Amino acid sequence: MTAVDETIRTDRPDDGPVLEATGVTMRFGGLTAVNNVGMTVRPGEILGLIGPNGAGKTTFFNCLTGMYKPTEGRVRLLGNDLPPKPRAVVMAGMARTFQNIRLFGNMTALENVMVGRYCRTSSMALTSILRGPKFRREERETRARAQELLEFVGLGKSSEHLARNMPYGDQRRLEIARALATEPKLLLLDEPTAGMNPRETQQASDLIFRIRDSGLAVVVIEHDMRFIFNLCDRVLCLVNGQVLVEGTPGEVQSDPRVIEAYIGGAADDEEGDA
Amino acid sequence: MTDLLQQLVNGLTLGSLYALIAVGYTVVYGIVQLINFAHGEVFMIGAFGALATWTLLFQGTTALWVLPIMILGAVVASVTVAVVMERIAYRPLRGAPRLAPLITAIGISVALQEAVRLFYPGAKSKIPFPQIDVVTGPALSFAGVTVQRAAVFTVGALLMSAALLWWFVNHTRTGHGMQAVSEDKDTARLMGVNVDRIIVIAFALGAFLAAIAGVAQGLLNANVDFRMGFLAGLKAFTAAVLGGIGNIQGAVVGGLVLGVAEALAVGFIPGQFGGSAWKDVWAFALLIIVLVFRPQGILGARVVDRA
Amino acid sequence: MSTSTDIETTYADDAEKVSLWDRIGRPVAPFAWPMVLAGAVILAAGCFLSWSYTDEVLGDLSIDFYPGAVQNLMIIAAVLAVIFALMYRGPFSRLGEWLASATALRVLGLGTTVFMALVIALIGVQAGGLVNVMPGAWISFVGAVLILLGAAGLTPRASKDPLHAHLPSWLEILTIVALLAIVLFGAAYVLDIEDGTVFSLVVLFTGLVAFTLTRAGFFTWVGIIAQTHRRVLMLGAVAVAFLFPFTQDGSDANMSIATQVLIFASTALGLNIVVGLAGLLDLGYIAFLGAGAYVGAMFSHSAFATIGWKPNFLLVVIFGALVSATLGLIIGSPTLRVSGDYLAIVTLAFGEIFRLAMGNLDGQDGPRLTNGPNGIPAIPDLEIGSFNFGETHEVFGITLGRFANYYFLLLVVAAIIITVFTRLNNSRIGRGWIAIREDEKAAEAMGVNTFGLKLFAFAGGAFLAGMAGTIKAHHDVSVTPDQYIFLESAFLLAAVVLGGMGTVAGVLIGATILKLMPEKLRFVADYRLLIFGLLLVLMMRFRPEGLVASKRRQLEFHEEDEELADRVEEVHLVEEQEAKA
Ligand SMILES: Nc1ncnc2c1ncn2[C@@H]1O[C@H](COP(=O)(O)OP(=O)(O)OP(=O)(O)O)[C@@H](O)[C@H]1O
Ligand SMILES: [Mg+2]
Repeated sequence: MTAVDETIRTDRPDDGPVLEATGVTMRFGGLTAVNNVGMTVRPGEILGLIGPNGAGKTTFFNCLTGMYKPTEGRVRLLGNDLPPKPRAVVMAGMARTFQNIRLFGNMTALENVMVGRYCRTSSMALTSILRGPKFRREERETRARAQELLEFVGLGKSSEHLARNMPYGDQRRLEIARALATEPKLLLLDEPTAGMNPRETQQASDLIFRIRDSGLAVVVIEHDMRFIFNLCDRVLCLVNGQVLVEGTPGEVQSDPRVIEAYIGGAADDEEGDA
Repeated sequence: MTDLLQQLVNGLTLGSLYALIAVGYTVVYGIVQLINFAHGEVFMIGAFGALATWTLLFQGTTALWVLPIMILGAVVASVTVAVVMERIAYRPLRGAPRLAPLITAIGISVALQEAVRLFYPGAKSKIPFPQIDVVTGPALSFAGVTVQRAAVFTVGALLMSAALLWWFVNHTRTGHGMQAVSEDKDTARLMGVNVDRIIVIAFALGAFLAAIAGVAQGLLNANVDFRMGFLAGLKAFTAAVLGGIGNIQGAVVGGLVLGVAEALAVGFIPGQFGGSAWKDVWAFALLIIVLVFRPQGILGARVVDRA
Repeated sequence: MSTSTDIETTYADDAEKVSLWDRIGRPVAPFAWPMVLAGAVILAAGCFLSWSYTDEVLGDLSIDFYPGAVQNLMIIAAVLAVIFALMYRGPFSRLGEWLASATALRVLGLGTTVFMALVIALIGVQAGGLVNVMPGAWISFVGAVLILLGAAGLTPRASKDPLHAHLPSWLEILTIVALLAIVLFGAAYVLDIEDGTVFSLVVLFTGLVAFTLTRAGFFTWVGIIAQTHRRVLMLGAVAVAFLFPFTQDGSDANMSIATQVLIFASTALGLNIVVGLAGLLDLGYIAFLGAGAYVGAMFSHSAFATIGWKPNFLLVVIFGALVSATLGLIIGSPTLRVSGDYLAIVTLAFGEIFRLAMGNLDGQDGPRLTNGPNGIPAIPDLEIGSFNFGETHEVFGITLGRFANYYFLLLVVAAIIITVFTRLNNSRIGRGWIAIREDEKAAEAMGVNTFGLKLFAFAGGAFLAGMAGTIKAHHDVSVTPDQYIFLESAFLLAAVVLGGMGTVAGVLIGATILKLMPEKLRFVADYRLLIFGLLLVLMMRFRPEGLVASKRRQLEFHEEDEELADRVEEVHLVEEQEAKA
C-alpha cells in the first residue's frame, strides 16, 4: 500500500492540533442540538464521539463540515479558521462520511471515488473539450488514484459496480474511499459500522487503523462501544448537545455519568441500532 | 384617489380569481409535494363545463336560477377530469423521480387543451359565455369607482368558498385526515388514514374551486377560450407560492396580493415599461423573486434539508 | 421528503402473459414449426396477388405479380419469419443458439397479423367496403395468423449471451456499415412517401421489425459491437449524414424537414446537458434559441433589422452565442437557492418573460429592438465569403438546393455540439454534473463546486443553443416572438425525454420523431399536439427512461430489475477489459 501511503500522507509543520473547535453551538428554533461543544483532535489520533441517540453528534459533524452554519463557535483546521462552506472545508483538508449513506447511486464505485478527486484536479471545460495532453494525463491519474483507493478499502474488484447495487458494508467502505480521495488530513466517520456484521466491523476497524497509520487523524461516531473502546485513543461523550466526559477509553468506560446517560437512553439506542 | 381605489377593485377581482385557482395547487402540493401543472386546465374545463351545461339545457335563458346548475356542471366536469387525471396519470408515478410527474403534467396540460379545442364545437376560437341576470349587466358605481357585477360575484364566491374550505379542513374527519397526511404521510397511514382517498379528495377539492373560478372568469370576460388555463394557472401558481405553497390561507392571501400588485403595476408604473403590455412580465418577475428570495412565501414555513 | 414510499410494481403480470402464449400454443405444438414456415410462404404468396379492387388505396395494390409498397413490407416480414424459423430448427440453428428465435417469431407473428388486419380494414374503409378487399390480402392475412399460431407453439429457449459471441472483426464492421446503409436508404425511401397512410404503415412496420430484432437479442449484440468499433460507427454516421442530401436529387421538401430536425436536435442536445447531465429542469430553454435568432436577425442585412452595424457572420454567431450564454447565466443564477420543481417554474417564468419582452420592444412599449409582434422579417440568405446559401449548386451532377446548403452548415454545428456534449460528459465536469444530479448536498460535501457547475451547465447549454439560433434566423427568413412560446420548450424537453436523457443517440432520435411526424402525417396535423401530450403521459408511465436509455437511467427508473442491473454491469466490465487489451 505504499502508493496510497504517499498519496494521503500529510506533511504537518509541527505537532499542533489538526482540528480545534471551540464553543460550537447549533440551535434549531427553540432546540439547542449542539451546545457550546469544544473538541481538539491531535495529529495521528483516533477520537471517538459517543452519545445516546439525538445527542447532537451528527449535527456537530454538520457544523464542523459547513453543512450547517453553526449559530456560534469557531472551527480551526491546521491553525486556519474554517468558513462554514462545505467546499472550503474539503479543500482545507477535512472530509466526511454520512450516517445515512449518501453515495451517487447511479454512478459506478470508481466514478464515485473519482468525484472525490474533483477538488484536487483542475481540468476545466475547454481542456475537457479539446482533450489536450494535460487533460489526458490528469484523467489517467484520477482514474489510477481512484482505483488505488478502492483497493485500499478492499473494493478493488467492485470498481465497475453501480454504487446503489453494492452490499451495505461495501457502500460504507466506498464512502470512506470517496472521502479519502479528497486528500483529507482529518477524516470524520459517522457510524461507519452501522448495519455491519461482526466480521465486517472487524474489517472496518482494521481499515480505520490503516488510515490512521497513513498519517490521518480520524474522528469516529459510533454506538458500538466495544468497537469504540478498542479503536480510539480518546473518547468524547456528548449528551443533550453538551460534552459530558472526555478522556481515554478506560476513563470514559468507567465513568458513572456515561453509564447513566446510556441507561437513560437505552430504549432509544436499541431502536437506533436496528 | 379614485384611481387608486379603482385599481384596488380591479386587483381584488383578479386576485379572487387567482386565489380560487391557487388553492388547488396548494392543497395538492401540501399532500403529495406535486406541482399539478395541469391545474390551470382543470379551471378551463370548469368554464367549458358550465358553458356546455347552459348550451345543452338552458340555451337562451338568462335567469339567475340557471347559475347554480351551471356551477354544478362546471364542478362535475372539473372534478371528473381532476380525479381521472390523478388516478391514471399521477398515481402510478408516486415514487418515481420527480421529473416524471412534472413532464406528465405538461403532457396532460397540452392534451386537455387540445382535446377541448378539437372536440368542443366551435372551441377553435373564443366562445361567448352566457350573460346571467343580476351577476352580469350594467356595472355598479360607487363614488366614481366602477365595479362589474361579475366582480362582485367573483369576490363573493371566493369568500364563500374560503369559509367552506376552512370549515371542511378544520371540522370534518376528512379534513383532519388531510392535515395528518400533509404532516407526515407514513404516520398518517399507520394511524389508519386512507392516504389514497385523501389524495383524491385533495385533487377534487382543488378542482371544485377551480370550477367556480372558471364560471367567474366566464362571467367576467363574457367569453371562454381553450387557452385560458395556461396563463391563469401560472399566475395562480405564483399566488400559491407567494402565500407559501401548502398553506391554504396563504393561497388566498397570495392570490389577492398578486392581483392587487398586478393592477397597481398597470396603473402606476410610469413610462414605456408601464401599462398592460408589461403586466405579465411584472407578475412573472414577482414569481421569480419570491421563489428565489422567499420560497417559503408570506405565510409558509421553511423546510430544512437534513444532512 | 418521504414521498417515495409506495412504489407500485407493474411488472408482475409478465408471468400471466407467458401462460396465455402457452395456452394458445399447446394444441399446435407438434406441427408448430412447419406451420410457421407454411405461414411465411402463404404470407409472401399473398403479396404477389392483388389486395384491393381499386388502385387508389394505399398506393396501388391492385395489380397481380407487381407488389406495391405495403406488400413489399409483408414480403420482408415473411423473409424474416423464414430466417427465424430456420434458426429455430434447420440450417441456421447455430445462429439460433444466440438469438431468441421463438420469441422473435411470436412478436413478428403478432405484429404481422395486426398489420394485415389493419391493412384490410384500411382498404375496406378507404375503398368503401370489405368487398373491395381482394383474395390476396386474405391469403396474406391467413399466412400471418399461421405464423402467429405456429410461433405460439414453439418453445422459447434461453439464448447464449451475445457478449461472448466473438465474430471476426471484418464481419462486425460489415454489419455496422450495412446497418448504416439501411438507415440512409431507408430514410431516403421513407421520406419520399407522399401518402400519409402508407407512411404511417411503413413507420409502424419499421417499429415492428425493430421490436422483433430487439426481442431476438440482435440489438444487444449490435450495441456491443458498436462499442468495440466506435470509430467506425462514428465515421459511418458522419458519412450517412453527409450523403443524405445527395439522395434527395435537388428536392427541397425533405431537405427543409432535415434542416429543421437539425436545428431542433442541436438545441435539444444543449438542453440535454442541463436536464440529462446536471439534472436541472429547464422549461424556458427555447428562449436561448430565440436570443441567438434575434441577435442573428438584428445584425442581418434585413431591411427591418434594428441595428445598423453588419459584422461578419462568424462574429454574429459568436455574439449570439455569448448573448445567449449571458442569459443562461442570469437564468441559472437562481440555482444557488432554488432547486427541483421550483427551478423548473423559475425557468418557465424566464422563458415567458423573454417572449413577452420580445413582443414588447417595438419602440412603443420600450426601445425599438425587435419590432414587437411583427418581428424581423425578410432576413436575406447567409453569405460566407462568396458562397451564397440561397443559390443551388451542382455536385457530381446532383443538384443541391438552398436547404441542402443550410443542412451542411447545420451538420457542422450539430457535430460541434455532439462533440462538446460527449467530451464534457466523459470528464471531470461531467462527473461533477452527474454527482449533482444524484445528490447535490453530498456532491458539495465532497468538494464539487456545485453552484459553478450548475451555472456552467446553463451557460454552456445556452451558448450552444444561441449558436444554432443565429443560423436559424437566416434559415427561417423571419424571427417573431410566437416562434418561442412555452410549447416549444415543452417540445425540446419532450425530445430529450422521449429519446433518452443523457444520451446523444436518443435525443437525435427523439428530435427526429418529433419534427418528422407532424410534417409527414398531414392528415393528423390537427391532432398532433393532442398526440404529443398523450405521448408524454404514456412515455412517463411506461418507459420513463426514453427510447434509448443510458445505462444509468435505465437502472434508475426500473430499480426492481436486478437482472438488468447485472447485465449492464457485465457489459461495462467487458468493455473495460477490451479497452485495456
Ligand atoms: N435540520 C434540523 N432541524 C431541526 N432539528 C434538527 C435538525 N437536525 C437535527 N435536529 C435535531 O437535533 C438533535 C440532534 O440530532 P443528531 O442527528 O445530531 O443526533 P445524533 O447524536 O447524531 O443521533 P443518532 O445517534 O441517532 O445519529 C435531534 O433532536 C434532532 O431532531
Ligand atoms: Mg447521528
